Amino acid sequence: MRLWRRKCDTTPPPSAAELIPPEGVPLYLEVAGLGVRLAAQITDVGITLVAAIAALILLMSLGVAEPSTLIAIGSLLFFAIRVPYYVIAELAWNGQTLGKRLMKIKVVSHDGKSLGTHALVLRNLMKEAEIFLPATLLLTLDAASPVATGLALVWILGGLLVPLFNRHRQRLGDLMAGTHVIHLPVPVLLMDLAQVPAKETTATESFTFLTHQLDQYGAFELQTLEMLLRAQEKGGSPVRSQSNKATIESVVEKIRQKIGYANKVPETERLSFLRAFYNAQREHLEKRQLFGERRMDKHYAGNDNSS
Amino acid sequence: MAESDLIRSARFRKKREADWRRLETLVSQAERVGLQRMEFAAARDLAALYKNATTSLAIAREISLDKALLDYLEALTARAYLSVYAPQERLGGLVRKFFVSGAPTAIRRSWLFIAIGFLCMGLGGLAGYQLFLENPAWYHVFMPPELAGGRGPTSTTEELRQMIYDDEPSASGLGAFATYLFSHNTRIAIFVFGLGVFLCVPAILLTFYNGLLLGAFYALHVERGLGSDLGGWLSIHGVTELAAICIASGGGVQLGAAILFPGKRSRRAALRHAGRDAVKLALVAAFMLAVAALVEGFGRQLIQDKSARYLIGWGLGLCWLAWFTLGGKAWK
Repeated sequence: MRLWRRKCDTTPPPSAAELIPPEGVPLYLEVAGLGVRLAAQITDVGITLVAAIAALILLMSLGVAEPSTLIAIGSLLFFAIRVPYYVIAELAWNGQTLGKRLMKIKVVSHDGKSLGTHALVLRNLMKEAEIFLPATLLLTLDAASPVATGLALVWILGGLLVPLFNRHRQRLGDLMAGTHVIHLPVPVLLMDLAQVPAKETTATESFTFLTHQLDQYGAFELQTLEMLLRAQEKGGSPVRSQSNKATIESVVEKIRQKIGYANKVPETERLSFLRAFYNAQREHLEKRQLFGERRMDKHYAGNDNSS
Repeated sequence: MAESDLIRSARFRKKREADWRRLETLVSQAERVGLQRMEFAAARDLAALYKNATTSLAIAREISLDKALLDYLEALTARAYLSVYAPQERLGGLVRKFFVSGAPTAIRRSWLFIAIGFLCMGLGGLAGYQLFLENPAWYHVFMPPELAGGRGPTSTTEELRQMIYDDEPSASGLGAFATYLFSHNTRIAIFVFGLGVFLCVPAILLTFYNGLLLGAFYALHVERGLGSDLGGWLSIHGVTELAAICIASGGGVQLGAAILFPGKRSRRAALRHAGRDAVKLALVAAFMLAVAALVEGFGRQLIQDKSARYLIGWGLGLCWLAWFTLGGKAWK
């Protein structure tokens, strides 16, 4: 789970869905995959099933339920606990059941407005029709009627395939209710790299970059450099392995070559060189951006010519 | 390092960072205890800071190339947005609203589809009745043996009467309620609603088939002179239950019709629009089925008198009709 999320942080998530709140500033939230949702679903089914079994045992001890009708009463209880559980939990916890809380996913309204009761009722009722109904059919049908069993299987498969065919991974119920499920984003404010070198000011001052040198790169390269620098910061002390040193050296050499920076950078100063370059590059690019010139990556010039 | 030495986006961040941190704590508080239980000042600050954060995000997207900052603001604003725009409705009020105005108005709005449901069932009944009178062998064609419960053209009149006025049922009370709820008719109701999405056809066919069963069954009893007795046996719960099937079928047909004839909307939008009423029809049908199962589980075997059965069954039917036609009118 953690690994997977980190991977998504490094590459722009292909599954991010745009959501426009009433304030009009679009938000990009990562759509939850089927695996996570299935895990949440299994948790919820487990919880409701345990509750239903507990209620059934209580009824049996009171002598209300007879053994002959045990299955009917049990499935009735399961149904009567399950349906309100989903709706009430999603209403009370703003689109999260216990399983969804555990998996840190959440139902959001597609149009950016707040979740309506209607939407929550609809998507959870459709869940009954999509999954639970054919599943109970599958369980209750015997092998004697292969046609009905096959039909139930096709039904379940059809229901499960629907999310694979749309970008927001919506179930049929989601489609009808106008909702989709997202990963709850975790706000972590990392240090601003442009503020870091305060203690190394003396070292930083010694590197100066000229405008034509800063014209070589775009935002993509800048943010890749940012990632590299942040990885150096991690754990307090810079990573000192041999391969890391080699990486830093090759990056520095590459940048020097590209921008035509004549002076050699001594080994001890490589990191501060990169920081200084990051600062200067970011300031330069942000300035260009303010003047309306967004440089997405180093190929921006070529793009301008072609268009 | 003086502030002016920082680059512009770093200064932007430094100025606002405290507000963002405060918003972060407020959001986590709102997520933990809920917006309703927060203090006034905190809730007010949450809303104000959320608005500020959206502005910050919009500005940061323009002026900053700091990926970490953009990601943080994006996540923070999303979290704040989700907790500010959380559903504010109360459950009790929702249930009341549904029964007082939501359900009856939805039923009235989709009267055409419900009429189609009743029409299918009625035509099916008529066809079944006529087919049986023409040739009793049709009975075996329609009726699955487990549903007939041993009743068929070969059973004697006395056996049929025995089934209608049965003093010693196999199950009663809660067990019978549960059993009846999961009986044939409920399954049919769920199917006709759920299958309506697939272009109406399965819903209409199933409703028609159910009518066919009913017609053939009724014809069997009429032939033996038990027509009115069966009428009583069926009415006590059947009026409610069959109406529920027709309403569920109406909901299914409504969904199917939205896909078949979306009009000026896209199919998805039409389905969503139709879903608003259809889901209410499904809920009403589910409620009616539960009532029918209650009547069937407790009432059918207790009340052995024919006229009392008619009275209860059709009285209940009248209650439903009154609810559907009159409910929610005063609110308009």
